[in-house]
Amino acid sequence: MKARALLKNFAMPLALLAIFVFFTLWLDRDALLRRPGASFVFLSPRNLSHLLVEFSNTAVLALGMFMIILTGNIDLSVGSGAGMIGGIGAVLVSQQGWSAPAAMLAGLGVALVLWFLMGALIVKQRIPSFIITLGGMQIFKGVFWRVINNSTIDIRSGGRDNLFSDIATYSLPAGRGEFLCVAALAIYAWILWRARRARVALGLAVEPPRNPGLKWGVAALAGFGLVAVCNNFKGLPAALLILAATAIVVYFLTQHTPFGRYLYAIGGNEEAAVLSGINVDRVIIGAFVFMGATAGLTGYMITSYQGTSSTTVGGLMELDAIAACVIGGTALKGGRGTVWGVLFGALIMTSLLNGMTLIPVEEWVNYVARGTVLVLAVWLDVRLGRD
Amino acid sequence: MRVDGQVAAFHGIRDAETAGIAVITQEFALVDELSVAENIFLGRAPRRGLCVDWLAMHQRAAALLQDFGLAIPPETPVRALGIGQKQLIEIVRAMDKKSRILVLDEPTAALTEQEVEVLLTHLRRLRAQGTTCIYISHKLDEVFAIADRITILRDGSTIATLAAKEATIPLVIKHMVGREITDLFPRKAGRTEAGPAGAALTVRQLDVARAKGQPPFLRGISFELRAGEVLGFGGLMGAGRTELLMHLFGAWGHRIGGEVLLGGQPHAHPTPGASIRRGLVLASEDRRRYGLVIAQTIGFNLSLSSLKEFTRFGWKIDAAAEHVRNQHFFTSLRVKAPSQHTRAGALSGGNQQKVVLGKALMTGPSVVMLDEPTRGIDVGAKLEVYELINRLTAEGEAVILVSSELPELMGMSDRIIMLHEGAMGGEFDRAAFSQEKLLAAAMGQAHAA
Repeated sequence: MKARALLKNFAMPLALLAIFVFFTLWLDRDALLRRPGASFVFLSPRNLSHLLVEFSNTAVLALGMFMIILTGNIDLSVGSGAGMIGGIGAVLVSQQGWSAPAAMLAGLGVALVLWFLMGALIVKQRIPSFIITLGGMQIFKGVFWRVINNSTIDIRSGGRDNLFSDIATYSLPAGRGEFLCVAALAIYAWILWRARRARVALGLAVEPPRNPGLKWGVAALAGFGLVAVCNNFKGLPAALLILAATAIVVYFLTQHTPFGRYLYAIGGNEEAAVLSGINVDRVIIGAFVFMGATAGLTGYMITSYQGTSSTTVGGLMELDAIAACVIGGTALKGGRGTVWGVLFGALIMTSLLNGMTLIPVEEWVNYVARGTVLVLAVWLDVRLGRD
Repeated sequence: MRVDGQVAAFHGIRDAETAGIAVITQEFALVDELSVAENIFLGRAPRRGLCVDWLAMHQRAAALLQDFGLAIPPETPVRALGIGQKQLIEIVRAMDKKSRILVLDEPTAALTEQEVEVLLTHLRRLRAQGTTCIYISHKLDEVFAIADRITILRDGSTIATLAAKEATIPLVIKHMVGREITDLFPRKAGRTEAGPAGAALTVRQLDVARAKGQPPFLRGISFELRAGEVLGFGGLMGAGRTELLMHLFGAWGHRIGGEVLLGGQPHAHPTPGASIRRGLVLASEDRRRYGLVIAQTIGFNLSLSSLKEFTRFGWKIDAAAEHVRNQHFFTSLRVKAPSQHTRAGALSGGNQQKVVLGKALMTGPSVVMLDEPTRGIDVGAKLEVYELINRLTAEGEAVILVSSELPELMGMSDRIIMLHEGAMGGEFDRAAFSQEKLLAAAMGQAHAA
C-alpha cells in the first residue's frame, strides 16, 4: 500500500525523468562520452530553451482546459480557436496597420465574446459541450483560413519586431533572470512561512520544518538551474513568465476562491451543486470565458513562436491540452485535478514531442508514441487511484 | 466466512452468485431502459445459437412473475414501474438465480406500507421454501415482523444476537444506541415568540406544474409556517411532498398560480441561491445525489453554501475563518470521522446526513426544510436529528419536516398537513393526531374518517 502511494505520488516525475534519460542516451551519447566533435543536442541550452517555450505554449492552454474539465465539460475548439485568434492579430498588424497591442487586445476581445457565447449555448440550451465545441473547432478553423486567405501572414509590419512577435521569442537579458528568481523564491518562502503560521494559530498539526525547507530547496535549485541553462542560450524566455503568471492565477482561482470550489463541486456532483445554491450556469460560462482568454494568449504565443500565421498553426493542439490535463491526473468526468499535475502533464507531453522531433522520427511514430503515453498515463492513474 | 460449512473466499460477485448468494441493495441494480424480462435475465438471457431466445425468455419471465403474484407483463420497460415493483423485480431476479441465501439491504427504504406488506409476504413464502434471508433494516417493526433471529451491529462490531421471540423493541434499541432511550421522539415545544412577528413562510393557493405547459401537479396548496414551529408533511409516495419542498426552494417545477411569502416578502421566482440568501434552506432526502460532493472532504461540503461569508475582497477565501466555522459544525453535530478533512463519501449514512444538515444550517437560515431527514440512518443518529430540530425551534427557526414514517411525523410535528395526489388532504393540530385520521387524509378520505 505504501509502495503504491509512493508510486502514485512520484509517477509523473519518474515518467518525466525516464523521458529525459531516454532522449539523452539516444541523442547525446557521444557528447556524454566526450567523443571529439560531439556536442549536446537534446540537453543543449538551445534546445532546452526551445523546449521551455513549447512547454509554456501547451501549458497555458492546458491550464484553461483544466478549469473546463474540472466542471466535467470539455473544449475541443481551442486548437483551431487559438490559430484563428493568432491569425486575426496577424492580419490586423501586417495588413490593417494596427499596432501590435491594439491588435492583440482586439483579438482577445473576440476570443472572450466567442467563448462566452459557447458557454452560454452549453448551459442555457443544454447542449453537451462536446458538441458545441466540436462545432466551434470546425467553424473557427474555417473562419481562420478565410481570415488569413489560406496564405502565410507575417506578424511583423515592416520587418520590425513588435509585442506580438516578441511574446514567444523575447528572452530576458542575463541578470534580470537571476533577479526574478531571487524575488520569486523570497515570496515563496514568505508564503510557506505564512501558511505554517496560520496552521499553528489554528492549533493544527504542522509538518516538521524540514518538509517546507525541502520544498523551498527544490524550488531554488530548479529556479537557478533554469536561469543558468537559459542564460547559456539567450536568457529566460518571456513565454515562461507568461505561463508562470497564468499558473499562479489558475492556482489562486481554483484553490482560494469560491469560484474554484464551485468548479470542483460542479464536476463532483452537479445536482448537489445546484441545491447548494451555486449558480452553476454562471460558473461554467465563467470557466469558458477564462478558456477564451487562455486560448487567445496561446494563439499569440504559438503564432509568435512560428513567426507567421498559417493554416497549420494550432492544429490538434486541443488534444495536447486535454492530454496534458489527463496525464496530470485530472478526471475527465470532473471534480478532481491539480494545477501541478497539469503542469507536469504538459511538460511530459512537450518533452516527448521535442525529443521525437530531434531524433527525428517519422510522423507516424510521433502519433503512436503520443497516443501510447496518454493511454499509459490514464491506465496507471486508474490502477493506482483505486482504493 | 463459511457457506454451508465450506470456507468461502469470493473474488467477485460471480463467485458469490455461484455459491447461491444474492444481494439486493438500497440502490436499484436494474436497467431502466430495458424490459422487465430483460432485466430478470440480464447477463444470462436464454439463447438459441448466437441469438437471444426472446420467446423462451418472455415465457419464463411470465411464469416467474406469476409465481410472485405480480400482474406485470414481461415486456414492460422497467422505467414505467413504481419503486415497490422494481424492488420485487430484483427479488424475482435473485430467486431465478437459484439463490439459497438472499441478502436484503434496506429493501423497504423507498416502499409504501402496502408494498412493504407484499414484500414481507413473499419473503415468508421464500423462507417456507427453505431460502435463508439476511434482512438489513433500520425499521424495527419490519425486523420484528419477519425475523427469526436479530443480530445488532454498532460501529462495525457485533453487539448481540437475539431470538426474535425473546427480543423487545426497547431492548434492541438499547443495544443499537448503547444506552437506554426513554423517549423515541423527544419533541420540545419551540419558541414561537422568538422569531419575528408574522408567519415565517406563507403559501397561498399554490399551483405548480412539472414543466411549462403541463397540467398542475401540486394544486391549491395553502399553509402558514410560524417561527419556532415544526410543520409536518405526510402523504403516500408520489403525493408531492418532495416536489413541494423542491419548488419552494426553487429547484423544481413551473409555478402556475398562487403566492409564496418568505418573511412577509414575496418569493416569486425562487432559485436555490436566492432562497439560501433569504434564509430558506433544504436538506434533501437523497443525500448522495442531491446533498454531497462525495469525492470531497467533509469541510468542503459543510461550507459549500456559505463560502461568500469567508471571502475577503470578494475573492479570496479566508481559509482560517472557514476552518474554524467548519470545525464548529463538525463538533457540534458530532460527525463521527477522524477530522473535517475526511472524504464525505467514506462516512456512514447518519454522518453524511449530519454533514448535509450542517451545510444547510451554516447559512444561518430562518426556515429549514427537512426532507426525510432520518431515512436510512440508525436510531442514535435519528435521536440527534430530533434534538437538532428541537434546538432549531428553540432558537426561533421554523422547520418543515417531511417523513414517510407516521410515528416520527406525529412525534416531532406541532402540526401536520397530509398531501394527497398533489393537493391538501387534511390539516391537523397536535391534539388531533391519530394514525387512522392521518392515513385517511393521505388516501384522500379526510371527511369519511
